[in-house]
Formats: sequence, C-alpha cells, structure tokens
Amino acid sequence: MATATRYIGKAMKRKEDPRLIQGLAHYVDDLQFAGMLYAAVIRSPHAHARIRSVDASKARTASGVVAVLTEEDVRGAIGMIPCAAQIPGMKAALRPVLAAEKVRFVGEPVAILVATDRYLARDAADLVEVDYDPLPAVVDPEKAIEKSSPLLYDQFKDNIAYRWELEGGDVKKAFKQADRVVKQRMVNQRLIPVAMEPRGVVADYKPGEKQLTVWSSTQIPHLLRTQIAGMLGVPEFSVRVITPEVGGAFGSKLNVYAEEALVAYLAMKLNKPVKWIESRRENFQSTIHGRDQINYFELAVKSDGSLLGLRARILADIGAYYQLLTPLIPTMTGLMICGCYKIPAVQIEILGVLTNKMATDAYRGAGRPEATYFIERAMDVVAAELKKDPVEIRRKNFPQPKEFPYTTPTGLTYDSADYQKSLDTVLKNSQYIKLRKEQAALRKKGRYMGIGLSTYVEICAMGPSSAMPAGGWESATVRIEPSGKVNVLTGSSPHGQGQETTFCQIAADLLGVSPEDVLVIHGDTAIVPYGIGTFGSRATAVGGSALYRALEKLREKLAKIAGHQLGVDPGKLEFLDHKIFVKSEPRKSMAFGEAVGAAYVAKTLPPGMEPGLDATAFFEPSNFTFPFGAHLCVVEVDPDTGQVTLQKYFAVDDCGNVINPLLVEGQVHGGIVQSVGQALLEEAVYDEQGQLVTGELTDYALPRATDLPPLQMARTVTPSPVNPMGVKGVGEAGTIGATPAIVNAVVDALAPFGVRHVDLPMKRERIWQILRKSRRAK
Amino acid sequence: MIPAPFEYHAAKSLDEALRLLERHGDEAKVLAGGHSLLPLMKLRLASPRFLVDIGRLRGLSYIRLEGEHVLIGGLTSHAEIEASDLLRGRCPLLPETAAEIGDVQVRNRGTIGGSLAHADPAADYPASILALDAEMVATSSAGKRAIPAAEFFVDLLTTALRHGEILTEVRIPVLGPRTGTAYAKLHQPASGFAVVGVAARVTMGKGGKIESAALGITGLGAKAYRAAAVEKALRGKKTSPKVLADAVRNVAQGVDPLSDIHASAEYRREMAAVFARRALERAIARAQGKRA
Amino acid sequence: MRIQGSRLLPGSREQVWDFLTDPARLAKCLPGCEALEPAGPDRYKVSVKFGVAAITGKYAGSVELAEKKQPESLRMRVEGKGIPGFMKGEGKLELRVKGAQTELRYDGEAQVGGVIASVGQRMIESVAKKIIHEFFECAAAQLQAEGKAG
Repeated sequence: MATATRYIGKAMKRKEDPRLIQGLAHYVDDLQFAGMLYAAVIRSPHAHARIRSVDASKARTASGVVAVLTEEDVRGAIGMIPCAAQIPGMKAALRPVLAAEKVRFVGEPVAILVATDRYLARDAADLVEVDYDPLPAVVDPEKAIEKSSPLLYDQFKDNIAYRWELEGGDVKKAFKQADRVVKQRMVNQRLIPVAMEPRGVVADYKPGEKQLTVWSSTQIPHLLRTQIAGMLGVPEFSVRVITPEVGGAFGSKLNVYAEEALVAYLAMKLNKPVKWIESRRENFQSTIHGRDQINYFELAVKSDGSLLGLRARILADIGAYYQLLTPLIPTMTGLMICGCYKIPAVQIEILGVLTNKMATDAYRGAGRPEATYFIERAMDVVAAELKKDPVEIRRKNFPQPKEFPYTTPTGLTYDSADYQKSLDTVLKNSQYIKLRKEQAALRKKGRYMGIGLSTYVEICAMGPSSAMPAGGWESATVRIEPSGKVNVLTGSSPHGQGQETTFCQIAADLLGVSPEDVLVIHGDTAIVPYGIGTFGSRATAVGGSALYRALEKLREKLAKIAGHQLGVDPGKLEFLDHKIFVKSEPRKSMAFGEAVGAAYVAKTLPPGMEPGLDATAFFEPSNFTFPFGAHLCVVEVDPDTGQVTLQKYFAVDDCGNVINPLLVEGQVHGGIVQSVGQALLEEAVYDEQGQLVTGELTDYALPRATDLPPLQMARTVTPSPVNPMGVKGVGEAGTIGATPAIVNAVVDALAPFGVRHVDLPMKRERIWQILRKSRRAK
Repeated sequence: MIPAPFEYHAAKSLDEALRLLERHGDEAKVLAGGHSLLPLMKLRLASPRFLVDIGRLRGLSYIRLEGEHVLIGGLTSHAEIEASDLLRGRCPLLPETAAEIGDVQVRNRGTIGGSLAHADPAADYPASILALDAEMVATSSAGKRAIPAAEFFVDLLTTALRHGEILTEVRIPVLGPRTGTAYAKLHQPASGFAVVGVAARVTMGKGGKIESAALGITGLGAKAYRAAAVEKALRGKKTSPKVLADAVRNVAQGVDPLSDIHASAEYRREMAAVFARRALERAIARAQGKRA
Repeated sequence: MRIQGSRLLPGSREQVWDFLTDPARLAKCLPGCEALEPAGPDRYKVSVKFGVAAITGKYAGSVELAEKKQPESLRMRVEGKGIPGFMKGEGKLELRVKGAQTELRYDGEAQVGGVIASVGQRMIESVAKKIIHEFFECAAAQLQAEGKAG
C-alpha cells in the first residue's frame, strides 16, 4: 500500500494556534471549581540552614486559612521526590517534599498552607515563623569538591554525588603520538528555563469513588501519575492526571515536583479542590535549572589537524538534591563528547557535585548543548593553535557518509549523516570566502567582525528502552468513529511543539482523509493509553512512529473490508480523498466512510473479522537518531563597550524526513534564540551565600526580538533508518548547534587581541575587561 | 506576587487626592501609572496602607507651549511624550529619552510624574530633566511650588517632594538657538533600565566653539547628577575628538558608582565616559544642524 | 558585601566609646529603631522599621558587641529579619585619636537574603551606605551637642 503525501511534508499552519492566540486555551490556572482552596508555599530564604522550629500557630488562625502542613505533618505520608536515574555508587541526595531538619537551597519548601482565596493564602504565608540556624553554603562546584568545603549532607564525607567514567580506544597511545596537546577550561553556565507559563497544579478528590484527579502543567502525565500514586501510597488506578494546555516547558516540566504531591495530598486530606500556581519568583528558585558544568579538555592532535585523542573532565553542578533525571544529564554530555568527529580514543571523567542551589536537570538539549559547546569550542581552539581555518579542521575529521552507521568510542552508533554536505551548504549560503575578505577589510578600519562555525550532531528520539531510565517507547491509539472521524490518542504530551498538527498530517495521509477529520488527543491518563511523554526530541520520531504503526493496522483492516466488498486484493488498495481504491482501476473504489460504516454495522465484514476500528501500537525504537547540521554566525564587537551585535545567522539542519517544514523552522528558530540567550545574556547567578540574585526577569536577561538578525535557514535531508518515517527529531537542535557558533564568532572577532576563549555568557563587561587587559598588555 | 492588604482610593479630583494624602500622612502613596510602585508592592518590599490613585485625573495629562516653556502634566505617559510633535520640535531630548524607557507596555502606562517622583537611580528621565534645567511643580493643599531640577533629586529614591505633595507639572525651557541635544544609553539587558544614561545639551558658538554644555547622568550613582567637571572643561573649547575624550574623563568625578551583576562600578564609570562622548558628539552635530 | 570606611566624630575616644556602647544613645541614632532592649551582656534585641522612600520593612533582630578593647576597638554583630528578607553583618570598629576628634574606622561583611537579595541587588549597597551615613550624621550631632552641654 503506497501512501500519498498530500499533507506530510507540507507547511500546514498549526491547528493549535487559533485558540492560543485568541486566548481561548485552558491552562491549569483557568480551572475553577466550587469550594476551591488555594495553596501558598513557605520557602527557605537561606541556602543552607538547620531548621530549629517551624511555628505555624499564627498562620493556622489567620483569616481564611484552612490548613497548614509542615514536614511533621507529611512525614511518612508522602514519599521522597523521585529520581529515576541510577548511576553506580551515587549518593542518595533525595529530597523530601517539605524540608526535614535542614534546608539546602534558597526556595526549598518548608511548609504549605491553603486558604479560601489566593490573597489570604499569600498573607498567611508571612505568618509562618521558621527559626533557622544558618550554615555556611557552597555554590561553586570547584570549591565544593575541596576538603575544606562545607558539607551539604552530614552523612556523606564529601559533596561528590557520583563519579562517572568512560574510556574508549587507547588514550595513552594517542597522547604519546600527538604533535601537540591543546587544553582549555570552559564554563557552561547555569540557565533558568523560563517557560512562559510557570508550573501549576490543581487536585480534586472524590472520596466516594476514591478518585484523585490532578491537573498539572507537565510533560509526562503518565509517569507523573505513577509517581504520585507511589508517593501517596494509593493504587495507580485511583489517580488520574490531566495536562491542560501547557505554556512551554523546555524540559523543566519533565519532572515530578514536591508541589504536585503536596497539592494532591491536601485535596485528599481536605476533600476539596486545591490549586497552586507558581509565581515567576518561585519558578526561578525551585523549578529545575539547566547546564552548569565546568569542562576541562585536553586534545591530542597531529600538526595536520587530525584528532588522535581526547581527555575530558566535567564538573557537573547537581544542585542540592536530585530531581527526576538530574544525575543522568551530564552523562549525555559524556556520551556525545566526540561530536561529529572521528576521535579514536577518549577518556571522560564526570563528577556530579552537590552545591547549595536548585537541582539541575533536563533543559532543552539536556547535556548535548554542553557536549557540542565543548567539542565545537575545542575545534576552534585547535584551529587557532595550529593556525588553520576552522572549516579545514572540521572537514578533516568528519566520518564519511559511507561510514554510517558509525560507532563512536563512547559506544553510540550514529544512524546516518552527511556532515560534509551540511557544512558545504552553510558555507555556500553564507558566502564564507566573501565574509572572510570583508572581515579582513573591517579589521584594517579598527572594526571587529567575527565569523563562527559550529558543525553539530545530537542524539534524539529518546530512545531505546534499554538506554532509558523509565522506558523509551511510545504509544498511540487510533479510533475511527462510525461517522468516519478519526481520533488519535498519543502518549506524547505536546506543550508547544505542535503535534496536534503534525500527527493530523500523518493520520490524514495514511487514511486518505482531511486534517479536519482528525482530532489529536493527549495528556489525559484516563483516556490515552500509557505513554512516556514529550522530551528529548522524541514525540515525532517515537510517538509519531507509534501512530504510524497504529494507522497501518487500521489501514490494513479497512483495506480488507474494502477488498472484500470490491473483490480485489487488499494489498492493491490506496487511500486518498476519502476513498479506498485500486490505483490502476479507479472505478474499483469505496468511500472511506462506507468502509468505516461497514466496520461498525458489521454485516458485510470478511469472515472472522472483529467489528470496530480501534488500534493501539507501542513503538520501541531500535536506536536513537542523530540529527546534525552546520551553523554559521557573523558578529561585530563594539570595542568601547564590549557589546556583541549579531549581524547574520545561517543554519543548515538535517533532521531526516520532515512532516511539517513550518514547524521544523519554528523549532530551529526558537532554539537559536535560546542559544543567543546562553551565549550572550542568560545566567542564573547565585552569590557566595547561595542567594539567587537573578531572582526575577528584571535581572535574568532573556533575548528579545531586537537582539536577532534575520535567521537564514536551510535543510539537508538524510532519512533515519531507525523508524518507519525516517524522521530524526528537531526540538533541541537550535539550542545545541547555535551557542558554539555564536561564541566562536565572538572569539574570532577578538582574535586580533590574542583571545582564544571567552567564557559563557559573553556579557559585554566580560569582553570589555578582556579587551582592556589586552590593550594594557600592548 | 500578591501585595499586602491596602486601602485603595481613586481620587476624582486633585483636591480630593491632596486631602487624602494629608489625612493618611506617610502611610499613603500616590499611584499614577503604577510601573514603579506596584512591582515593589507585589514583592512586598513596599506595603503602603493607603493608595491614592490619581490615574483618573486626566486633567493632569497634557503637553502645551506657554511662552518659552513646554508644560507637561505629571500624568502624561512616556508614550505620549515620545509621540508629541510639540516636544519633538521644541524639546526633542525628552521624546528621545522617553523612547528609550522600558518597553511599549511600560511606556503606555508609566508617567513622567511617577517616574520622577520615584527617582529610581537607573531611570532615564532624570538625566534629561537635569540637562534641560527643567522645573518640577509640586502641588499640595497649601498651594504650588516650583523645584529646580538641580535641587529635585536628593538621594537614592528620594526627591525634594514632601509628604502631601504631588508632582503635577514639569516645565521645560524650549530649545535655544544653535543648540543640540541627545540621549545615549547603555541598557541593562533584562530590565531595560539605564546602566548609564547620558543626556547632553550643547549650545555652539562661533568657529566650532562650544558655548555651553549641560550633561545629565543617570544610572551611575545613587541619584542622577550634572557632570559639572565635564561641562566646565568643554566651555569655550573648540570641539574635536580629543577635546571631547579629555573632557568626559571627569564624568564620574565625585560620584560613588553603583555596582551590580550587570555592571561593576569600574565598568559603569568607564561606560559613563563612553556614553557621555557619544551623547556630546550627537548633540554637537545637531547643534551644527547636522543629522545625527 | 564588604562595608568599610571611616568617619570623623567630635569628642575624645572615650566619649565616642561611651556613645557606641550605650544602648539608649545607640537606639536614638539607629535609623528607624523602634526598640532596643538588653538581652544578655553586650547583647540587645532591636526592632527596626526601616525604609528608603516607598520601600519599607520591619525587621526584628539583635545587636551584639564583642572583643571590646576600651577605648580602641570592638566588634559589632548585627542580625535582623523581616518579611522582605534578612540581613546579617559583622565588622570591626576602630577608634583613633585625631586631635580633639576621633576617627572611627569600620570594616565588615554583610549578607542579605530573601526578596531584597534577589531583586534589590542593585540598590543594596547604596542603601547600606545611606544607613551608615544617617547613623553617623546622628552620632556626630549627638556628640557635638553633648560636647557643648558638657
């Protein structure tokens, strides 16, 4: 059965957008129930302190207050915040939902109260008196691993959460054979994800039915349901999780948070609906952060630029406790450290370090932006040391297209790629040679233009279950109603990606119907079969593949029904324009609706066939996918102020086959913007005492439209062999490929001053200081 | 982000607002556009017991010419100032400054009176108000008094306004002959406030000589100020890149620069010089009838 | 945050020393001080209502004097907390004879936490300077007045 691609591959506008842009969408905070109570969380203002006492007596008697919970009240009743990642020998830095004995970061919940409205709840929160005995805090991972550092946990002898090591190839030999060893220390700063909608939870309990319903702004409704049931000690079937509209997440809602369990517990205890909506301040303090690594590399190279070996040491700042995947994220950096280069031997050591800060976890890219930044910066440092063009160094070390599948010394198998092609395309689109001439001319005039390149590969479509902490498959159910309308139920949980559109396109093409006939349903555990969720650029590659398989099952069934009635071989039937027909004999045709009707009326079915049209598939990918691309950025640096201006940006991305190019472009676009943030502006700053001084959007700088030049985007297409549609995933590519391109451009602009590396974020004062030092030295 | 409880009064007239302020003393705050006060209240850094909202007194929102002054009502929004043809013609520095404030939403709600009375050390207007030798008109139940810009900014978040006074009008002398103005600003990347903002007003004499220069600086210290040392160094000098570069070296004289994660004291001081030079270059070019 | 500086005060070292260690007079000059009560030797409980313009808050805390070397030097520890956050500071005060006057040198570290730390960062130093300035203005005026009266 061939599939006509009337919708797949087309730039359809998003079905989600009309409700979003008209303000008609429903987020958690839009839910209102009779008798609803409102929660406020009392949080630690200290980064590290012993709790002497919590006195809630004044708050309990305050106007409108219904209940106050302290740690004593929930001890034994609510389990610890779960961590799904396991690394051999890792310390159990687990967090109770309310702090017990000690607080270990600013913003850690100490108590929660509910009142009859959110204003009274907020007023009463100020009346909870917590007596703290402040302890010295440590926020710098390099200091935290020193013997003299304050210890976060009295029961551990140091602040090293775990050590993860990997070696592939003969590293000693590689360094012996090297003409040169290139070294650098680099900081990959801590970022705050800043989803437009902060977190929010509503819970309601029906004691008669023993049914708890939790509405949460999450990326993982099913995993959350399992975990809430576990934390509260109730059967999983007593919990239903619904994700209404989710206003972005970037990985920050791929988690199980204390507030989700606390609000659910309160609803059960009080038999009342309870709502908690996170403020931006709380979002900054106690929703996961991303990145925060200090990287050291040593590269063994030949004079001709070929890479022989790599030693990498990574200090990964864990924060004070694990969240769901915290310890796992830095290991992604380790696995992807070779980037798109053939490095015969690698040795990696990762230290997960505990500090008095919020936990780090998956933030868009989750370990891969760090890896790409690491290797792409390293390539430019090598190029500078060897006085070679960064293009040449890269090209020299690419595996050739015929070498795929290509296995790295870290044990991954890259599915398919043509790195030369994406590099050639970006050089052509940007007119690279002309840019270099322009740069030389401007330098003579005392203007500092820089050109930066990044050729990246990333790991997507998470992933085969063998490599995932909690299953890597995805589910889909397709249910065609008697009227011929198609319901797609997906275990993916889109929160901005647009799968309501792309999954429609897939279903419409496979069944030969229009997108208007398809409804995509997600994010309700009572309706949708168990699924894993949306993260790791997996929804289309894994969830879409599950959908593809489920659609195939129904196509097969409908073809059998039609074939039986038309008297033709079902294998010869095609689906198009609401018809099921033989291509060579278009007269042999049956209306789609007629075939659907037959399945339900069940009078003319082939013998032995079950009535109904309902199919479920669980897709287990055989491998990850490895999208790749080449980005090139042109900047100018103002030597008076250190201000970087982005002049031009060229992206060439390859995410395999594409369902909707408009959405792919949107994903890359947004990712690049977040990279601009990481490269130039964003940084979660904790002071030495562990106070988060970028506590609001007034101090945490996000990129704005005016910070960006027009982004010129192009694609190459190298289908993935690991899933039926040949798609790879594109949700994180922009944040992975773009940051090093921008940094490399700035370093290139500053090359006349002898600059070889600038740490992230490249704030103007940092650059100004570098320039001033260099001028003084001269 | 919920303020502590407060009592709210929407004044229907200026007299009523003044009476309310008098009655509640220092427990009352005036609410105009709300873009300085409300964020503080939501963070509970400010918890006034009474808010006197003057936002409905549309009579306090105007821009008009009276003799040699442009009069601006205290309740005039930044957006209205930015878009005013009268100001663009007679006092282009103010619209140029207004256009640099915050974002569109802030400019639509925020008012010149509110901003000046709040006296944020990183606000934009104070630099221009100082450079223009403007006057602030304070109204209380006892009557009106005019406060010259040079006396208006007292300290961090502190002005010469007394309890019970409302800043009802700002009076700006119209631009003189052979005079150019400019506002140059380094934005704090997150909030849009001025890391440093420099407002320059330069009157040119004969033969490329600077007759007089006025320089208002915001963002550098706890309050906006006039860079008297630079002004003095420029007076009577023939303009040249070297003259400007030498003069702006003294821009931070006598000022203890602020320091935060966006700019150290050292960087702020240096940027004050860079932006003073940029503002002066543009103001001089404009005074000479060039487009800049 | 490092807080350091010096200030010339009227009066002899002994007079300045007496002033600094006298809770009643200290209370008068601590900006916004509403109450200062003894709570053990050289330790006082204080409640302060402090504000800069619209930004006001009530803080409860303590002042402690230690390592007293009359009339040369002492250490001062200050702690306070309120709705907008907390502050903690410790520093050394040194008194030096400058003719008929006394130079007071101070050098210490202060920490601020809570909302003030996370949003007030750009103004904290200025506020600290303002508090110190107000305190010394008041101290100087008092000492001056006492000098005249004596």
